Amino acid sequence: MSIINYANKEVQFKIVYYGPALCGKTSNLAYIHSQVAETNKGELVSLATAADRTLFFDFLPLNAVVIKGFKTKVQLYTVPGQVIYNATRQLVLRSVDGVVFVADSQWEKMEENVESFKNLQDNLARQGTSLDNVPYVLQYNKRDMPNPAPVHYLEFLLNNRSVRVPSFVGVATSGQGVFSTLNAITRLLLQKFARENEEASAKHQRAVHPHAASTALSGIAAGTSATRR
Amino acid sequence: MQATPIVTIQAAEELLALLEEFLDKSEASYAVVIDRGGTILSQHGKLPEDTDPTILAALAAGSFAATCELALRIGESEFTALYQQGKRWHILMSAVDGDAVMSTIFGAKTTVGLVRFYAERTVKQVATVLESLRASTHVEPIFTERDLHGMNQMFGR
Repeated sequence: MSIINYANKEVQFKIVYYGPALCGKTSNLAYIHSQVAETNKGELVSLATAADRTLFFDFLPLNAVVIKGFKTKVQLYTVPGQVIYNATRQLVLRSVDGVVFVADSQWEKMEENVESFKNLQDNLARQGTSLDNVPYVLQYNKRDMPNPAPVHYLEFLLNNRSVRVPSFVGVATSGQGVFSTLNAITRLLLQKFARENEEASAKHQRAVHPHAASTALSGIAAGTSATRR
Repeated sequence: MQATPIVTIQAAEELLALLEEFLDKSEASYAVVIDRGGTILSQHGKLPEDTDPTILAALAAGSFAATCELALRIGESEFTALYQQGKRWHILMSAVDGDAVMSTIFGAKTTVGLVRFYAERTVKQVATVLESLRASTHVEPIFTERDLHGMNQMFGR
């Protein structure tokens, strides 16, 4: 869940990379870590097995843009993709602000992609939320493999909800599509945050100054406005 | 109730004062209050080595969440505290409320009993501050969608 800290002038967001086992979630974070300037990144932490499979999560804190004096910070997490780690995925999804769903483009992985996407929706539902409320983007990774499914087929399988979301082709190990994906989800998060912040602030103003709205309305009715005066 | 948790300047000062008093009395080295998603709400003291507090917070949240899940599996509603003992440094994690945890790092200068005694009192006080924050409707505009216009590279790339 995003947190505003007025004392530090910071807004923080949590983004989770989700997807089936070995689809390239950790590779996305590793590439991002290798490319972002030292001053804007923390350490990449991986809680992995001896065989380098994610056991709990990978974690990478990043500084994003400064907007009107407020630093925006994102914390990137991955979930373990293996089916048996569902309880862990639920823990990592806690307080998530945005999701990158990484699909494996290889033909034989289609069933796993669909299962994992359904698992994401189930786990969000357990937290009382859904993809209607949590911004997400899709990345069709491993396009360099010899047998990738066509993009339109992946779109048909995964980007078929009532609102279609941004999707990107990727080869995470070489960096293709990695920053397009990260920039897109961050932008979606910031847009949602800005909308909600504006609404909450306007609601607060109406509660604190209930007469201001009616004065402005009567001004408009009389053909004048408070700002013109 | 806030949709987005907000740490106001006043609340930040209150939390800091509570942590200062806690470290002073317990003689622990470092304390951090985090939300259960792993974000730092307030921190005070000195961390051993060059530890990044952001990473510490993420790992602490993960560790505490896993412990709570274990508790549920054996029929407990939650373990309210988790103690990890090292050779030189130890960590005590204490539940503040359903949404926050306080993690304390301490060394040989003090004892787990003393730290735990003062931690129990401090988390209650921290919970009161966080509760009033959540109940507040105070929101100031930070930025609007217009301010995002043309921003396509959020990380310099």
